[in-house]
Amino acid sequence: MNFSIELTPEQKNFGKEVSAWLDENWPADMEPIRDAQKMTREQFQVRRKFAQKLGAKGWLFPGHPQEYGGGGLGHLTPVIQEELASRGESLPIVTDWTNLAAPAILARGTEEQKKRFLPPMLTGNSMTWQLMTEPDTGTDVANQQTNALRSSRDGEYFVINGSKTFVGGIHPPPDQFYLLTRSDLEAPRHENLSSFIMPANLPGITIQPLDLFPLSTMAAAYGPTGATMEAIKNSVFFDDVRVHESYLLGEEGEGWQVTMATFAVEHGGGANIIRNRMSERFFDQCRNNPHITTRLRENPHLLDKLVDVYLYTQTERLLSIRNAGGKGGGYGGPHFAMFSKVFGSKYGADLAEVLGPYAFIDEGEERLDDGIFEVGQRNSIAKAPGGTPEAMKIQIARALQIGR
Amino acid sequence: MTLDLELNESEVLLRNAALDFLRRDTPKLVVQGLLDTDTGTTDELWQKAADMGWLGIIIPQEYGGSGYPLTSAGVLFEALGTAPLPGPHFSSTILGSLVVLHAGNEGQKLELLPALARGEETLALAMTEPNYGWDPASIETTATSSGGEFALNGTKTFTMDALAASKLIVVARTASGSEQDAGISLFLVDRESEGVSVRRLPGFLSGRTFEVELDGVKVPRSTLLGQENMGWAPLQQAITEATPILCTYKAGGCQAVIEMTLNYSRIRVQFGQAIGRFQRVQDMIIDMVTHSDAAKWASYEALWKLDTGQPAIESVHTAKVLASQGYWEVVTLGHQVFSGVGYSRESPISFHTRTSRSLHHYLGEPSHHRQELARMLVSPEVSAV
Repeated sequence: MNFSIELTPEQKNFGKEVSAWLDENWPADMEPIRDAQKMTREQFQVRRKFAQKLGAKGWLFPGHPQEYGGGGLGHLTPVIQEELASRGESLPIVTDWTNLAAPAILARGTEEQKKRFLPPMLTGNSMTWQLMTEPDTGTDVANQQTNALRSSRDGEYFVINGSKTFVGGIHPPPDQFYLLTRSDLEAPRHENLSSFIMPANLPGITIQPLDLFPLSTMAAAYGPTGATMEAIKNSVFFDDVRVHESYLLGEEGEGWQVTMATFAVEHGGGANIIRNRMSERFFDQCRNNPHITTRLRENPHLLDKLVDVYLYTQTERLLSIRNAGGKGGGYGGPHFAMFSKVFGSKYGADLAEVLGPYAFIDEGEERLDDGIFEVGQRNSIAKAPGGTPEAMKIQIARALQIGR
Repeated sequence: MTLDLELNESEVLLRNAALDFLRRDTPKLVVQGLLDTDTGTTDELWQKAADMGWLGIIIPQEYGGSGYPLTSAGVLFEALGTAPLPGPHFSSTILGSLVVLHAGNEGQKLELLPALARGEETLALAMTEPNYGWDPASIETTATSSGGEFALNGTKTFTMDALAASKLIVVARTASGSEQDAGISLFLVDRESEGVSVRRLPGFLSGRTFEVELDGVKVPRSTLLGQENMGWAPLQQAITEATPILCTYKAGGCQAVIEMTLNYSRIRVQFGQAIGRFQRVQDMIIDMVTHSDAAKWASYEALWKLDTGQPAIESVHTAKVLASQGYWEVVTLGHQVFSGVGYSRESPISFHTRTSRSLHHYLGEPSHHRQELARMLVSPEVSAV
């Protein structure tokens, strides 16, 4: 066995190339983001331009096929991720759901759709939102109430009515929606759905930002883009929106199969090896910040919390290594993502105990580091984005064949 | 990336041979019987283990062993843990061999290690005392030198596998220094020496745990393993290297309990459906898998670090916390799923119930290792995780 996540010589050489390019092309006016709600439209544009530059080299979605605008780089993908991470950034630089839409298009799209949508998506030239959740459709994804019904007037058009919520991100609108709908009012559950990949600017579409307190998943601990991914949400309303059937993704009535292609990615937890930057900062504070070392010295109960955080972080990292370890690692599935979410709340509580009220103060260096722990506290209550742990457990139970 | 979690060819052979052995030589009823014996094994089974090369698995070839890396031993013990196969496999073959390797002089290694590999000698570590602990301050047994010999006095409580051992490694104080770990020496004492009395400690969950009384036991200077007063450091090194192998044994136990619990969740019907269809039952099994996987990969990561000469102590402590706690929790949750039938002595989960409890404290319970981790985490010298 080998647990080393060190790069191979080929990867290291590529790393040098990436590093030199990044040094040369790094936008001087791009500010690091810790909290997405504070990202201005100007900063958003700076980031988009940088994403497009990466996209032109195939480095924005390095693992996707080259013929559709990806990098086709496979095992070199972690090199790009690591180089960006060492500069405090992560792919894809700005809010986007291409990572979820592209696999569905690749699996179920027509050749025409792949050629039309993927190159701009994978090079950062168009942005995509995934529209699945509705006011009455959360974990029960198949319970779609947004109708896309064949027009009685001209049958090659669908007319969409309904609303989606807790979707999208900062600074709308995007260029297209990856949308799940109910297209048949009679057919049985799971056979009544259709997916679309469609323009986001059609008449009858209204986007309304939600007034949420800035919540993001624990992913924010791993890189600033994580925070931008999840922090801002919207409702999207459809009023008699007419969509041509050429925007159907997969066959009519195959929406559930298309959605499963996405879930395999979204709930899979991927094969990225986790480096929990929040924990790294936390351990650093526990060794070096005099306010915190004093607290730890004076109250031995806090040491217990510190060790809990350490063991949680180790377990999380080991589960991610298991997922990345291929065949030898055994069953992965959403187990890792589920663990992160379930223990996220205990983790947040333990951090708050050790750090004291500093944990909630969003302020710079005189206080605790740069306030990342305040973001972490908000993160630790976020369970829903990407699927609740309960929904993930249903998938895990199926994969383990519990009771079946 | 160089990350690779697959077993290599020789590890696959080791694992398959071990699983075949368990199926052929120690089916369920045999394990149940062995758990109740004082040694956990029989002469015949021990000889078979020697013939398979298991007893010398980590002993270097120049001392008559097969010289496998620690990771390979971990693979073997993970397989043995599924039964769980009782006997002094860990106490003697792993811990005993490592203490001799790290503490012994050349002559002692040449004499003892080949005999261990052949199954002619068996070791047990007599370290902990009524004032239970794995730190040097807990060692109160004395060895007083007079003439060419030492007299050992003290009580070694919670000595694992003492009655299976031909020789005990007795940890004793030969001097009191300002540093608590100074003045500790290791002695190789024949278990049948005059003044040694061994008593099995009662309790369904106590396993093969013994109290060893040392009442003026006279041993010659030649029984001193390594150097006088210098025993603590090599002992610690041996414990550090042995611990993650004990952990893979526990991880193997976790996997076996999960396997049997999954099967039961499919066949036990209540309220008209398999109980595994109930989400509360599913939750328990998913928790079991989390514990099991954490224990397994923490153990192998520690072994990989040890085999490749990297600093491993944090990983070793982590592995022991996760494996002791994990095995305990997996069994507890398994019992919740099995309910009544799990309490039967012949139900294999009960083998793991006993083993998960009796091995919980061996080489330090979770709180011992958590304390060590806490020390490291607040010490400014240690690098960040």
